[in-house]
Amino acid sequence: MSDTTLPHSPAVSMPGIRFSSAETLKHAVLILGSLIVLLPFYVMVSYSFKSPAEIMQNTGGFFGAQELFRDDYCVKLGRDLADCMVTPVIYNYTTAFGKAPLLRYLFNGIVVTVSIFVIQVLVALPCAYALAKLRFWGREAVFGLVLFCLLIPVHAIALPLYIMLAKLGLTNSYAALVIPWTISVFGIFLMRQFFMTVPDDLIDAARMDGMSEFSIIWNVMLPTAIPALMAFAIFSVVAHWNDYFWPRIVITGDRSLFTPPLGLREFKGDADGDNFGPMMATATIIVAPLIVAFLIAQRRFIEGITLSGMK
Amino acid sequence: MAASRAHWWFVGPALILMGLILLLPILIAAALSFTSYSLGNPGAEFVGLDNYEKIFTRSTYEKMFGATFRYVFVVVPLSVGLGLGAALLINSTKRFGDFYKTIYFLPVMAALIAMAIVWEFALHPTIGIVNATLEHGCGSFLETWGLYAHGCDRGFPLWLTDRDYAIWTVAFIGVWQGFGFNMVLYLAGLTSVPRELYHAAEMDGARTAWDRFRLVTWPMLGPTTVFVVTISFIRSFQVFDTVEAFYPQGGGPSKSVYVMMFAIYEKAIQQNLMGIGAAITVVFLGFVMFLTVIQRWLVERRVHYS
Repeated sequence: MSDTTLPHSPAVSMPGIRFSSAETLKHAVLILGSLIVLLPFYVMVSYSFKSPAEIMQNTGGFFGAQELFRDDYCVKLGRDLADCMVTPVIYNYTTAFGKAPLLRYLFNGIVVTVSIFVIQVLVALPCAYALAKLRFWGREAVFGLVLFCLLIPVHAIALPLYIMLAKLGLTNSYAALVIPWTISVFGIFLMRQFFMTVPDDLIDAARMDGMSEFSIIWNVMLPTAIPALMAFAIFSVVAHWNDYFWPRIVITGDRSLFTPPLGLREFKGDADGDNFGPMMATATIIVAPLIVAFLIAQRRFIEGITLSGMK
Repeated sequence: MAASRAHWWFVGPALILMGLILLLPILIAAALSFTSYSLGNPGAEFVGLDNYEKIFTRSTYEKMFGATFRYVFVVVPLSVGLGLGAALLINSTKRFGDFYKTIYFLPVMAALIAMAIVWEFALHPTIGIVNATLEHGCGSFLETWGLYAHGCDRGFPLWLTDRDYAIWTVAFIGVWQGFGFNMVLYLAGLTSVPRELYHAAEMDGARTAWDRFRLVTWPMLGPTTVFVVTISFIRSFQVFDTVEAFYPQGGGPSKSVYVMMFAIYEKAIQQNLMGIGAAITVVFLGFVMFLTVIQRWLVERRVHYS
């Protein structure tokens, strides 16, 4: 797409026709790219509005005609035909919540992502503080270990982790979803880099006031670290809300523990011809929270997600 | 204060968890890779290098490496190239830059499993929007392009279920998902290129935009590029969501999309062949760690121009 176009430096501004044609070309390329990027989002939201017939025949524009159609399942239950006529968009979204315990999945997703983040901070913050501001024997070795552990992607060691959890009888539990992510070496690294920039005077003053090291972490360092923590929170929540691989491995069968991605996958497994609409509604509901949050606080999100670029 | 032992309370939990969650599993994987272990089976036999021999000789695993490398070597250059291209274009336009940036970043935020399912619909041979759109183009000037005319005549590809197209289609989705991430890293990199360098280059006779890019932008983006390439490699090596969503069993038409993470999942979790799964894990870790070590080496040695 766009990489074939010659790059232009921001420093040039040529007057007249030539300039604007270059600018037009750039926008043409960028808009074409945008269309391709947005295509699946368009399909997802549009199908979540449409009736099965409209999906099959590719008619109805973006919102669908919203004509009533017959819910065959309702008819099968022996209800009156007139009661079984439904509006596509309402049908799709109510089925999404009714056919599978979608609210439960969303709740699980929140429980898991929040627990992971809170534990990551509880573990990483003190460690980062010690590595940045305390002098002790073995500090370099600990930091070296952190740097080494940054090499290890947790997904890559999923198999031995799964065996360990299975041996402990912990598969199919919230614990299994959370435990492997409790240690974020990246979080330690990030917070350490941040704490290095906090002036020592601040900590010395706190010590003079008789604060314990422990309360220095939570009452002095934590408040100064809020921007970095926000970024890390976004990084962590996005990764774990969207994670599919790890839940897929440790949660087998027990629907009450499904996270949103697992729930959607299960839905797809069961889907027959009539359920495309509700499935797309489910997908929309699962994707929406992060997208909406992102649109509201773009700058912070982009910072948080690209944080890993600070290495 | 130096006499205080507080630091071990601070570092201790992290150290223990690092040991148990990150280091111990590597040792376990290494140990199990020499056995025929399976869960629920009390005795594990020592089989020496058998598992590794299988990985490097059997045709299934040849396909696994083939699919993984095809995927990685399409996704990395394209997502890095498009990321850089998009960043340069956005950086050079006067208006709407933030607008494009937002759009291109959307796929990074969306759960890949959800978008994979949507792509599967979009790419469906009969009811999918992609082929329907392509058919609209038939009869227009596009037909002068031989491949396109062929598609109009005999039907457009089946994409995900076609043996010849499957891996490339999955790779396309990988590019679609990942290039926005690289774009924002490049945009961050571009803000740190000093303006004076462009003026200096112009003084020295760098007339065209291409010259300025070649002489200033690209070298200055060196550290960003090293990072972006490495992280793209690591992310694309770990592809799983799309493959599992499209092909829950078997890894695609004639195993053409049988990537490593899926192989680990299939062998170890679905078939309970922990030994072979562990061996693939070890090979996989080898790749990923090797790449990261190279990155760090490059960062320390070459890419600092300032």
